[in-house]
Amino acid sequence: MEVNAVVKIALVGNPNTGKTSLFNQLTGLKQKVGNYPGITVDKKVGKCKISEALIAEIIDLPGTYSINPTTLDESIVLDTLLNKSNESYPDLVIVVAEVENLKRNLLLFSQIKDLELPTLLVINMADQMARKGISFDLEKLKEELNSEIILVSARKNSGIDELKNEIRNFKKWNTKPMASISSKIDEEYFKVVKNTFPEFSLYKSWLLITQQNNCNFLSPEFQQKLSVLNADKEKIKKYQHKETIFRYQIINDILHKTYVINRNEATEFRFKLDKILTHKIFGYLIFASVLLLIFQSIFEWASIPMDLIDGFFANFSEYAKANLPEGIFTNLIAEGIIPGIGGIVIFIPQIAILFLFISVLEETGYMSRVVFLMDKIMRKFGMSGKSVIPLISGTACAIPAIMASRNIGSWKERLITILVIPFTTCSARLPVYAILIALIIPNKRILGIFNLQGLTLMGLYLLGFTAAILSAILLHNVLKIENKSLFVIEMPNYKLPSLKNVFYEVVEKTKAFIVGAGKIILALSIVLWFLASNGGESFKTANDTVKQDIGNQNLTKVELQKKTASFKLEHSYIGVMGKMIEPVIKPLGYDWKIGIALISSFAAREVFVGALATIYSVESEGEDVGTIKERMGAEVNSITGQKRFNLPTGMSLLMFYAFAMQCIGTLAIVKRETKSWKWPILQLVGMGILAYISALITFNFFS
Amino acid sequence: MQEILVYIALGLAIGFLVKKYFFKSKKKKNCDSDCGC
Repeated sequence: MEVNAVVKIALVGNPNTGKTSLFNQLTGLKQKVGNYPGITVDKKVGKCKISEALIAEIIDLPGTYSINPTTLDESIVLDTLLNKSNESYPDLVIVVAEVENLKRNLLLFSQIKDLELPTLLVINMADQMARKGISFDLEKLKEELNSEIILVSARKNSGIDELKNEIRNFKKWNTKPMASISSKIDEEYFKVVKNTFPEFSLYKSWLLITQQNNCNFLSPEFQQKLSVLNADKEKIKKYQHKETIFRYQIINDILHKTYVINRNEATEFRFKLDKILTHKIFGYLIFASVLLLIFQSIFEWASIPMDLIDGFFANFSEYAKANLPEGIFTNLIAEGIIPGIGGIVIFIPQIAILFLFISVLEETGYMSRVVFLMDKIMRKFGMSGKSVIPLISGTACAIPAIMASRNIGSWKERLITILVIPFTTCSARLPVYAILIALIIPNKRILGIFNLQGLTLMGLYLLGFTAAILSAILLHNVLKIENKSLFVIEMPNYKLPSLKNVFYEVVEKTKAFIVGAGKIILALSIVLWFLASNGGESFKTANDTVKQDIGNQNLTKVELQKKTASFKLEHSYIGVMGKMIEPVIKPLGYDWKIGIALISSFAAREVFVGALATIYSVESEGEDVGTIKERMGAEVNSITGQKRFNLPTGMSLLMFYAFAMQCIGTLAIVKRETKSWKWPILQLVGMGILAYISALITFNFFS
Repeated sequence: MQEILVYIALGLAIGFLVKKYFFKSKKKKNCDSDCGC
């Protein structure tokens, strides 16, 4: 049997050069791509068949402007390229550049080339050259850079075969350095460096000297040698500046000889559009309109498929009960599992619509304009424009959003961003909001255009952002951490969204949400059903007790069944537990059944609806169970005789879910990113107190 | 029989929840986040 050779390829490049798109094309994987910087904050690995005898293991590294790291994600690049014992240490490096910003991209290329690793330059987005008026002498450029160059368009899948062909020849690539730094900076000093580390390329030695603090993999003896060479910090800093200037001089010279860019009408159009979209008044108005469109659509477009799904699960539950053999396992399926799963599947349309909009905004390049627009505001609140990306990502899920904060250079800004991200309305809150809004807010139009339910949802999203910003101000003033930061953002070109990317994004995100939450909800539904269908002595004697209680009253068979089911639920294990916590949640307008759903959803918010669906389903034993919305809508407060989910209770619950930190996954990731339990505990307690007080005030205000 | 099935389902559900929330799960390769992996 033939054994395939495996080469490790590191994919390196500036942010937003289409590295991840290229990675997806090569590996056939479907990693998230976007038209804004900072998508890749950790390395990803995929396999690609280069030829019958050669397999490539491709490592997609986080985007970086230079090999000298300023942020945590950038230091991953340095470690991978310098540390030979790193499992991802590459046999060859592909530097991905973008056709329009070649000058800036070549800085990183020149640094990597000087490491004397086999290096290939891939110029992406080559299909846009003509439209942008860009032309260059490719052969001359190859000669000047001492490197092979491949033009590709990762989005259009062109140039990929040529790239694979070139990878096959990597052993023949020229590994000569591009810039001889020693002569231009300090020849004597670099002679000492060369003699101290003869086994390394000069530039690798120089990098180790300048980045000693980021190189934990070095032995103490080695560190000692480095400490001697970088003892004069001022001199090292001066030499680094000289190096950058020298590199740009070389790049300028090369591009002057080989590269021509003419501003054409397309670029002019982009410039004009940028002026409007980032305008200090129109920019915000447009952004607000976009948000309004998103939230209106979530309610308008999703209502019909949601009703169909809800109806399907109600019928399915009845069908299961009628057709499966009678017994408690059938009850578990019909009253526990089917309503519980229905409680999450119903939200697929709304979640898919939300991700569709987010994906289109990222793909078109509009998201970067939003980041730029928000930077001025964010700075006042102790965050930076870079915080906007995690905050917007937080509308999908707080966990990747917290990880996306890794590209924020300043620790204080990063910590504040991590701490306030859970206030943004994640997709797990959407099911809770959607069902409560549908129950308490009338489905009517304002000014003949705006759907009131959609406006309420938008209000809740804005409330989340406002809470995040106000908390950021508080933290900015409270946290005594020194802070210095610089915000640089690249404005990507406007693009028509790639249908394929948008489709994958929507499918993957929705699937991740449904599968991830579905497993938890299924398990919790089983446990809740069991606890609601079993109990102590009073539960077991429920039939006799109810009969005794009603005495001579004339009740129909259905009325008697309903009374017995209600009594049983109240005396079941879950009923007893719910009654224990009722005094704490009663001031917020909740009964013990809501309390059980509230506690169940501390693991994950989206469990709330499924838990209530299971509890109400057990209670409606023997009756036509109806849809989740109908069951919740029909629930009556036994004391007041009013609907349980009326305006005061519904608004109180919305406030509670807007602020409470109910996600174990997020707490775990905050602990991992801050390396301390202090911050997740602060979030849990702080947000919990805020949620309780807000819900209490809201309930009393609307009562 | 149905009772046995219920207890099996309950055991599996509790086992899953305990494993998910009380034991560290092994991180899968190629995942950049804990959502969707």
